[in-house]
Amino acid sequence: MPDAAKVASQVSALPKLGLGVGLRNEHFNHILSEKPDVDWFEAISENFMDSGGRPGWIIRQIAEHYPVVLHGVSMSIGSTDPINETYLQRLKTLADDVQARWVSDHLCWTGVQSVNSHDLLPLPLNQETLDHVIARVHYVQEVLKRPLILENPSTYASFQNSDIPEPEFLRALSDATGSGLLLDVNNVYVSCFNDGSNPLDYLESIPFDRVVQMHLAGHTHCGSYLLDTHDQPVTRAVWELFRLAWQRSNGASTLLEWDGDVPDFQSLHQEVLKARDFMQGELDTTLVTQEQPVQKHTNVSNPVDFMVPTIRNHSRLGT
Amino acid sequence: MTDTTLRNMQEWMQNALTQPHLVQKEEVAARLTSSNRLSGSQRLAIYQRSYISRLCMCLAEQFPASREALGEELFDNFARVFLARDPSDSYTLYELGRRFPAFLEETQPDGVDPDSQPETWVNFMIDLATYERALFVLFDAPGHEGNLWPTSDTPDEDLVLQPCFNLGAYRFPVANYYHNVLEKSGSGLPPLAESYVAITRYDYFTSSIPITGPHYKFLQAMQETQSVDASLGQLATSIGVPKENLQETWVTHIRDRWIANHFFVDRNTLSKE
Ligand SMILES: [Fe+2]
Repeated sequence: MPDAAKVASQVSALPKLGLGVGLRNEHFNHILSEKPDVDWFEAISENFMDSGGRPGWIIRQIAEHYPVVLHGVSMSIGSTDPINETYLQRLKTLADDVQARWVSDHLCWTGVQSVNSHDLLPLPLNQETLDHVIARVHYVQEVLKRPLILENPSTYASFQNSDIPEPEFLRALSDATGSGLLLDVNNVYVSCFNDGSNPLDYLESIPFDRVVQMHLAGHTHCGSYLLDTHDQPVTRAVWELFRLAWQRSNGASTLLEWDGDVPDFQSLHQEVLKARDFMQGELDTTLVTQEQPVQKHTNVSNPVDFMVPTIRNHSRLGT
Repeated sequence: MTDTTLRNMQEWMQNALTQPHLVQKEEVAARLTSSNRLSGSQRLAIYQRSYISRLCMCLAEQFPASREALGEELFDNFARVFLARDPSDSYTLYELGRRFPAFLEETQPDGVDPDSQPETWVNFMIDLATYERALFVLFDAPGHEGNLWPTSDTPDEDLVLQPCFNLGAYRFPVANYYHNVLEKSGSGLPPLAESYVAITRYDYFTSSIPITGPHYKFLQAMQETQSVDASLGQLATSIGVPKENLQETWVTHIRDRWIANHFFVDRNTLSKE
């Protein structure tokens, strides 16, 4: 398909941004006043696309100083509901406004029958789903006038009628549409653990020439499964996986996601800078957190409460 | 035979999240694989638990004072019933709390404060949630930041309410309660006392300004007419006071204070959308 080739070449030309961090409400003031020396920021599209208030103003300020990438959670590319046209248009407007270097979302669905679960739900990976997602990616890329970059989600269940391994699915999708990949190495680790498969085999089948970006994040070990909680440092095993992925990725832009119990900005930045040591192939075990199953946890996968602005610091009682 | 089309799988899984009590074990086994550690049902349960907790956490973020008033456990119970009855239908989480005050109004959940009449407690919860929702909406609504603000020299004819403005009438002093909760200075059920509040926004800060009943009526008329003169006229008729008297109070006591509190903008500075 000719437009797939065109999109693929746009993907190949996307910049290598270096080491970035996810843009979080807690850090807005620090970033604007201190202008920390960070390579780039990833912003959650839905936090900003409808904002007439402070978030909308902030992202435009930040985009003047840093490269910004938009990362969405509500496109629902795998859903059998129609694509939300309003959503796409607003996403496009925001992407144009902040000169987003690219726009990404997840290989998942978020709801049907007009309901939004606000979760990144797993898809049965088979030919029917592949055809469905290919058609929708084509459409989205046409509307957004830019490539779509899709991320492997963290998964907790698999379908009886899945018969295409996820990396193969992503490869086929990318071949058919030209779309790029956001390889979340933490999600690879979490999903493989939960499925009882080998993350090294997973990496083996990833089409690294399509990987534009990588995600790093922390997860929670719940004993019989892992939860993608984004609320702690990256574990040793995930760093190790990152090191292997990095060596093959041809310099993919790398980003740390941290959404719960968010540390101060410098600590967050320090955590992602550890990636440099792993890129060089050295493994300093004192730098990495050793994983322990937790006894009691109240965490959720794919947390979203961090996306709700904390308005209390911006409210006062007048006289 | 299980229908395994993508559409059917998605409808099935979504129902399993929103109505977990209706899920049949055999169907889970027919659709989901087990892993070396967990059965299909156990794996589905991870999604089911996260679904409800995740959204409860979001509602808690949007209604911190309501949660304080109800206590975490009761708030989460209400949130669960609300989310089961009214699942999110928007791509944005900002909309999640939109129908929560109406839900409290419609369902009239039982009171929990043994010292108060049940309906008193419920009314307080409804009003507090309504106020919290108004604050939340105003935080992110399109406003007047980046434009010029009026001064005391701006003529009355040019004054209109600013785009980020909310007017509320409550049966309890909810704005005080909310800010007391934030400052952690007491959170018992406040006395039954009518309160009127105007919320404005300046430099992305919302200010909740206590006003009187007649002020409220005047500002309601402003919302309707966007004319100071017409609103003074409406208020005069409504409360049976000569308009000249109101005009004088307006000029000597109210006008400059409200301009300073960013109630108004100059209609000539409004960006033409
Ligand atoms: Fe990710």
